[in-house]
Amino acid sequence: MTSFWDILHLLTATPLVPVAILGLTWGILGGALPGISASITMALVLPFTYTMDPAMAIALLACVYIGAEYGGSIPAILIRTPGTNSSAATVIDGYELNRQGRAGEALGISLMSGVVGSLFGLAMLALLTEPLSWLALAFKPTSYFALGILGLSVIASMGGDSLLKGLASAVVGLMIATVGTDPISGVTRFTFDVADLLSGVEPVVVMVGLFALTELMSQSGSTSVTQLGGSIRIRLPGWAMMRKLRRSQAIGCFLGLFEGLTPGGGGSVAAFMSYNEARRWSKTPEQFGKGSEEGIAAPEAANNTVASTALIPLLSFGIPSSNSTAVLLGGLLMHGLLPGPRLFEQNPQVIDSLYVGSLIAIIAQIGVGVLILPACIWLVNRPRPYRAGFILALILSGLFTLNNSPFDLGLALALGLMGYLMRLARFPVLPMILGVVLGHMVESSYRRSLVLSGGDFHIFVEDPIAVGLLGAALFFIVFSLAREYRDARRTQLQETHS
Amino acid sequence: MKRDFLSGGVLIALAAAYYIATGTIAESTLSDEIGATGLPRLLAMLLAFIGLALIARTAFVALAARRANVPQVAADEEEGAPLPRAVGLLLIGGAYVVLLPFIGYFLSVALLIGAVAFYEGAARSWVLPTAALGGATLYWAIFVKLLGVHQPAGSLFLGWLS
Repeated sequence: MTSFWDILHLLTATPLVPVAILGLTWGILGGALPGISASITMALVLPFTYTMDPAMAIALLACVYIGAEYGGSIPAILIRTPGTNSSAATVIDGYELNRQGRAGEALGISLMSGVVGSLFGLAMLALLTEPLSWLALAFKPTSYFALGILGLSVIASMGGDSLLKGLASAVVGLMIATVGTDPISGVTRFTFDVADLLSGVEPVVVMVGLFALTELMSQSGSTSVTQLGGSIRIRLPGWAMMRKLRRSQAIGCFLGLFEGLTPGGGGSVAAFMSYNEARRWSKTPEQFGKGSEEGIAAPEAANNTVASTALIPLLSFGIPSSNSTAVLLGGLLMHGLLPGPRLFEQNPQVIDSLYVGSLIAIIAQIGVGVLILPACIWLVNRPRPYRAGFILALILSGLFTLNNSPFDLGLALALGLMGYLMRLARFPVLPMILGVVLGHMVESSYRRSLVLSGGDFHIFVEDPIAVGLLGAALFFIVFSLAREYRDARRTQLQETHS
Repeated sequence: MKRDFLSGGVLIALAAAYYIATGTIAESTLSDEIGATGLPRLLAMLLAFIGLALIARTAFVALAARRANVPQVAADEEEGAPLPRAVGLLLIGGAYVVLLPFIGYFLSVALLIGAVAFYEGAARSWVLPTAALGGATLYWAIFVKLLGVHQPAGSLFLGWLS
C-alpha cells in the first residue's frame, strides 16, 4: 500500500512533476495536429523513454495519452477536423459553437469535461486494477497462452471490416515475433546472419513504422490547408455551467469506464455512444447538432475516461485494448516490466508514478491547456510540407537512440511501407502490432505448457481458465463471422433491389 | 475485389517463403517437444489457410454477384497518397539512412528536412534552407547536447558537430 510519504518522495525526490507536465504538453501538441493520433503521439516519444528510469518513462507515456485526448478536441472545435479519432464526436457541436462565435467557451467545456472524465477514470484505474491483477495469480502457462490468443482474437475480429484480414495481420505479427533467439532452446531463427536481428525485432520499431511512418506516407502530397484563427482564448465554464453539464459528463464517465474495460472498445466508440445517450437523456435534445454544450461535454468526458480505464485490462492482464495502450505495453516491455500482480509487487514505484503522474497531468491540464493554445494554433498553422520534414526527422532521430543502429531505421522504413500497403489493401495494423508484442508470451506459454504435459495437448482443456478464455476467443471469432455474413447478405439484397 | 485476390496470393507466397525459411533453423539438444520450428511452421500453415480462405471468399462473393446480375462495384478506391508518391517519401528516408554514417547527423537531418519539405510542395525560397538548417540545429541541440545521444559524426568530416 502506498503511503503519503511514498507520494511525497515521488513529488520531491524524482523528476515526476516536470515529466508529467512535459508529457501532457507533448500530448496536447501532438493530439492537436490533424492526422497525428494519440497512439502516434505516444509512439513518437517512445524511443526517447528508452534511456529513462522505467517509472518516469511509463508516467510520461500515460501523461502523453491524457494530453492527446484533450489536444484532439482543439482542431475538432476550431477547424472541424478532429485531431484524434476519439474527438470526432466533438466536431458536431464544438464546431457549431465556434461558428456562433463561442469557440473559447467550447474549448473550455471540452477541457473541463476532459478533466472530470480523467479524474473519474483515474479513480477507477486505482480502485480496480490491483484487485483484478490478483486474478492473474491463478494463471498457469496454459492460461497465459489462452489469454494471448483471446487478446489477438478480439483485436483481429473488432479491428477492421474483415475477420480474415485481421487474423492474417495477427499471424504476420506473431511471425515477426519469432525472429531472433528462440525463448526455450536458445537457437537463432530467421536472423539470416544479421547481428542486429539476434535479439529480435523491437516492438517500438514496429509501432513507429506501422503507426507514424505509415501515416506520414499516406498524407504525402496532401494539399489540405488548415488555418486556425490566432485570437481565440479559452473560457472555462463556471459552476452554473458545470452543474448543467453534470448529467452528460456522468454519462460520458460511465460509458468511458465500460468501453475502457472492453477489449476492442476505445475512445471513439465511447465518445459517439455517450453523445447519443447524452442527447437521449438531455432536457434539450433539440439543441444537439446546433451547438449544445452537453454535446461536447459527453464525448470529451468519455474519451478522457477511456484514457485511464483502458489501462485496467493492460495493467491487470497485459492485454492492450487499443492502439494507445499497445504503445504503452511496448513501453512496459521495453523496460522489462511485465503487467500483472508481480508488477504491483516488484515494481510498485512504476504504478505509483503512473497514478501520481496522471493525477498531476490531469490537474495541470487546466493551466497547461489554457496556456498552450496559442502554441497549438501556431503549430497547426505551419505549412504541411515543413511539418512532414520535421516529423520524419524526429522519427528517425528518435529511433536511432534505441540501439545506435541504422538497421533500426531501415527496418522502420520497411515496416512503414508494409503498413502503407496494408492500408491500401484494408488490412488493420493493430493485430500485427499485438502479435509482435504478445508473440513471446504466446509462444513461451504454449511450449512451456506442452513441456509440462509431455507433449499432450489435453493440458489446454484441463485448465478451466484456459478453457474459458479460449471459449471467449472462439465466441469473438464466430460473432465476427456472423456479423460479416449478415452485412454481406444485407449489401447483396440492397444491390439486388436497387 | 481484385485487391483481395492479390492479398490472398501475397499471404500464401509469404507463408510459403516463411515455411521454407524454417529449414534454416538449427536443431538444438535443448529443444522441447515442439522445437524452435514448431510454432513458425504452424503459423505458416495458418497464414496459407487464411490466404486461401480470403481468395475463396472473394471468389464466392464475385460469383454470387454475377448470378444475381449485380454489377461489380469498384470499391477499391485509393485512400491517401498514391503508392509512387508515398514510396518517394520513403526513399528520402532511405537516403538519410545511407548518408548518416558518411556525412554525420547534422547535415543528414538538414538535408532530410529540406528534401521532405521540398518533396511535399514547399516553395523554392530562402525559407527552405533556413528551416532545414534551423531544424537540424534544433534537433542536434536536443539530441546530441541536451539528451547526450550519440549520433554519427560522419566519416567524411572530423566530427566537429557531434
